[in-house]
This record gives sequence, C-alpha cells and structure tokens, in this order.
Amino acid sequence: MNKLRRSLLLLLLVLAWALAPLLLSRHLIDLFVFAGLFTIGGLGVGLLLGQCGIVNLAQALFYGIGAYSSAYVTVQLGLPSLTGFLAGMLASALIAIAVGWPVLRLTGFFLALATLALSLIGNVLFFEWDWLTGGTLGIGGIPKLSIFGFAFDTPERVYYLVWPIAILVLLLADNLVRGRPGLAMRAMRDAAPAAEVLGVDMHRLKTAMFVICAMLGSLAGSLFAHYVSYISVQSFTVERSIAFLLIPVVAGSASVWGIIAGALFVTFIPELLSGFGDIHQVLFGLALVLVVTLLPDGLIGGADRLAQLLKRRMA
Amino acid sequence: MSGVVELQSLPSRPPHLPATLELSGIAHSFGGFKVLSDVNFAVPQGQIVGLIGPNGSGKSTCFNIVSGFLSPKAGRVLLSGRDMAADSIQARTRQGLMRTFQTPKVFERMSVLENVMVGLHKDGRSGILASMLRTPSARRELDRLRNTAEGACRKFGLGKLLDAQTGRLPAGQRRVVELARAYVGAPRLLLLDEPSSGLNTEEIEQLRGWIAMLNSEGMTILLVSHDMGLMTIADTVHALYFGEIIASGPMTAIQADPRVREAYLGG
Ligand SMILES: Nc1ncnc2c1ncn2[C@@H]1O[C@H](COP(=O)(O)OP(=O)(O)OP(=O)(O)O)[C@@H](O)[C@H]1O
Ligand SMILES: [Mg+2]
Repeated sequence: MNKLRRSLLLLLLVLAWALAPLLLSRHLIDLFVFAGLFTIGGLGVGLLLGQCGIVNLAQALFYGIGAYSSAYVTVQLGLPSLTGFLAGMLASALIAIAVGWPVLRLTGFFLALATLALSLIGNVLFFEWDWLTGGTLGIGGIPKLSIFGFAFDTPERVYYLVWPIAILVLLLADNLVRGRPGLAMRAMRDAAPAAEVLGVDMHRLKTAMFVICAMLGSLAGSLFAHYVSYISVQSFTVERSIAFLLIPVVAGSASVWGIIAGALFVTFIPELLSGFGDIHQVLFGLALVLVVTLLPDGLIGGADRLAQLLKRRMA
Repeated sequence: MSGVVELQSLPSRPPHLPATLELSGIAHSFGGFKVLSDVNFAVPQGQIVGLIGPNGSGKSTCFNIVSGFLSPKAGRVLLSGRDMAADSIQARTRQGLMRTFQTPKVFERMSVLENVMVGLHKDGRSGILASMLRTPSARRELDRLRNTAEGACRKFGLGKLLDAQTGRLPAGQRRVVELARAYVGAPRLLLLDEPSSGLNTEEIEQLRGWIAMLNSEGMTILLVSHDMGLMTIADTVHALYFGEIIASGPMTAIQADPRVREAYLGG
C-alpha cells in the first residue's frame, strides 16, 4: 500500500471514529468505551505475551487495584480523581516489582500458573479487605471522572477520552517494541540462552515489562471505576484475567495495533452472541477456537493474508 | 547524552584487547556422572585453539563452564588472568567473551538484521522510557546499531537476507547469522561450538575463511569441530577424551598421535 492510500485510510478511520457517537446507540457507545478500556489493559498483557513470551493471567488483579484505588481515593478520601489514578498505578507498580522479581524467575507453564494464582489471591483479598473494597457489596457512588474541572459524565465524553488514551499508550508501546528494548524482548522470547550471552539482562527486562503491564491494567481499572460508578469483586475475577489474555491471543500476539481488534472481539462477540440465549458462552468458546485454529497469527495475521490474496487477485 | 558519545565510539572495526583464556584443574560431573576431570589448557592471545574429542567427551560442557552457564565442581577459569567464577553470563560478555551454540540459537521470529542488531545490545544505552518516547538520542542510537549490524551482515554475505525471517532460513545460513551476531559485538574471545556441523563442503570452506578473518582482526578463538580439515586452521589443538586432555599440539601431530587414534577408532 502506498503512503497516500495509507494516510487516506487513516483519515477515514479517524473520521468514522469521531462521528460514530453521533450515529450509535447509547448501548453501542458503552461497548466501545469498554473496548477502549480493554485495549489499554490488554496491551500490557499483549506486550508480555507477544514480545516477551510471558503468559500473564493476573491482569484482573491490577485492573482491580486501579479501580479500587480510584474508588477509595475519591469516595472515602474525597480527593481529586487524578490522585486515584496515580495511587493505583503506583501501588500496581510496587506490587508488580515485589511479586514479579521472584516469580519471573519461573518460565513457561509454571510462570503462567503462578500468575493465575496471583489473580486468585488478589480476588480473595479484594473480598476479604472489605474496609477498602466494600467486599461483595462493592463501592458505589464513584464520581464521574473530572479533569481540571471538565466532567466526563456522559458515555460520549468518556468515549472521546478513553480512545485517545488507548491510542497514546499504543503509540508508546509501538515505539518501545521497535526500539532497543523491543529487540531484547523478542530475543529472549525466541532463544533465551542466546539473548543472555549477548548481554540482555532478562530478569530485569521481564520485571520492567511486568510493571508496565500492571500500570496499564491499573489505568484501565481506574477509568472503569469512574465510568461505571459502582465496582465490586465480581469485576476482578480470574475470568477477567482470562479475557485480558484472550485479547492478544485473538489479535495475534506480537501485534501492537492488533490489540484493538482483540479488544473489540472480546467486547462485541459475546454481546452479539448473547442473543442466542443460554448457549452464548459455548458459542463464544467456539468462536475463539475458530479464530485460534483457523488463524494461527490471529485476526491481524488473517487480515494480512486476506489483503495479500486480494492484491494477487487484482494484479 | 553520554549514550551518544558511547555509541559514536562504537567501532566498525573494533580494536581487540589482549585476551587469554586459561582453564586450570576444571572438573565437572552431572549427578555423579563424571564428565570432566582435571582439564587444563590455555588459549593464548590472538591464537586459534582447537578442541577435539569424540561425542560426549565434554567439549560443550567446557564451553558452558567458560561462558558461565555451568559452574565447575572444581578448578578455575581465568580471562586475562582474572578469575571469572563470580561473574554472570552477562558480566562475561561485558568482558569480551562471546560464544555460539552447537545447535544454532537464532531468534527465529526476528529478521536477520534484527538478530545481528541484538549482537550490539550490550553497546547500546537507550532504555525503556527513552525508547517509548523515541528521544533523539534513542533514535540515533538505533540507527547506528542498524548501520553497524547491516555492515556485519554484508560482511558475512547476508546482505540480501536482511529482512528475511531467520526461522525460515536453512541450517547453514542460520549458522552464519549466529556467527555474524557474535562477531558484530567485537568480542575479544570467541568460542565456536561445532560451527561446521550441518554445513556442506563449500560452506565449510567459506567458514574457514571467516574464522581466519576474525582471527586476523585480532579475535582470539576457541574452536570445537569434528571436521578435521577445518581444524587445521588452529594453531594448537587439544584432544579431550573421557574428561581429560590426552594430547596437545598442531593438528597434524594430533592426528598422528597413537592415543588420539585409539580414542577415535574406539580401540
Ligand atoms: N545438562 C546435562 N545433564 C546431564 N548430563 C549432561 C548434561 N550436559 C551434558 N551431559 C553429558 O555430559 C557428557 C558430555 O557432554 P558434552 O555435551 O559436553 O559432550 P561433547 O563433547 O560436546 O559431545 P558432542 O561432540 O556430541 O557435542 C555427555 O555424556 C552428556 O550426555
Ligand atoms: Mg558438544
């Protein structure tokens, strides 16, 4: 594709994105907001999976930390919402270092299990520490996000906030992946001993990426708390962690921008299938299996191949 | 902006400092199974030293001990007279040690150029934040890494394969990628574990030329190979048999040595 066509396509996409809230129902805008949140949180998991070869099943923990921090800071302490974002990201980063440093010595299957355990423990703590989290009752009355006096109090406004944030973190991640640390990450993913011999400090790099993943999860969680106004433990279970992991898996794990497609998939497909009644979960499982088996490189790899096929047809 | 200065001094043809590797009294066993017992030899600066021995005689184990993947049960490894016992794999790399693997360990899902760029990782400085923000110095550094790596690729005849996915290359070319990746970081001491295995005669001839080139640029080389023809490139060869050096000398003398003949012919 030449440059002009690419810019044109981008322009069209931006236009469609900007105009969408005018045409969409309130429910659909809602879903797009969630897809934006999942893009942010899923990106962290995607960087670990696609670049570092690490399966992280603990993202719901950090999503929860962000959400509870924002809820606690605004509802209990009455502080400005930005404080909640910062507190959540700081807490997530510290916990990610404390847990990641020892746990990231594990590899493969064992590491995946350890992160799964982390998610489970997190959920138990969210339940037990009800002075902080409200337990099963949760925390309600979380104020709408307001930044420098501007309130993001309608779905449209949040839509116009969440997506630019998502694009920003995707841009930063894209830069990172193309940079020197990105090379080192993929090197340790493909052949750890060789990466080590070439001087890559794998343990430090893995921990750093785990911290970034946690902070993205927390950021998404804080946005989520302000958006829905009410949060409880049910939102931060292992299922949520699995859904976050599915985002890069569906997208094609090494793709940064594909995370958007993965997030849209895990948001919209269950919604579309819910019309089928009770079996919608089975159908979602089927849809997943189809994507993973038919498109080994995920949605993005599949789209690439389709584009190449069309090109050849046209030529 | 110290990072920039660092890289500007990144040499395209690096000056190699003197390096001498010395193994003294090295012993190793795997769960009671003795692999090396009292191995002593040195790799003098600027030389090519060969290590031969039948399958399972402990050559790769020696490499793993020198490069820091294993710590020996006894004995010392000295680099330029300094004991490396406490040094991590990366610390050894920083001191100028580099190795290849018996089964090439290339980064399969990365391009050839990217593989070789990772060989320069240790010479770069830009971290996560600078790379995320694409600071001017991070960008310049990456450009420089790319240029240097590209030069190394061309030197090893990989110029047409820069963007090829390394996992799709035939075995011979993967070895070349691994060699270019090891070379580009300008090591003082290079350990090559069976670089000729899986190569055809023509490729081995080419490999021989490259080894000579690396050596002429000042790299000290320790070479393991089953290819006796290739081994004649070594200044000195040590024959390892059941965990001990049983003969040392030029390849021609080693081939004539009765104990070596016996070891190889299973007498
Ligand atoms: N990690 C390990 N655990 C147990 N035994 C091992 C291990 N690594 C090597 N060995 C054993 O140690 C012995 C020496 O192995 P090594 O790989 O050093 O031999 P080598 O001389 O490199 O052989 P080859 O010519 O086949 O490469 C072999 O018997 C091997 O089975
Ligand atoms: Mg071996």
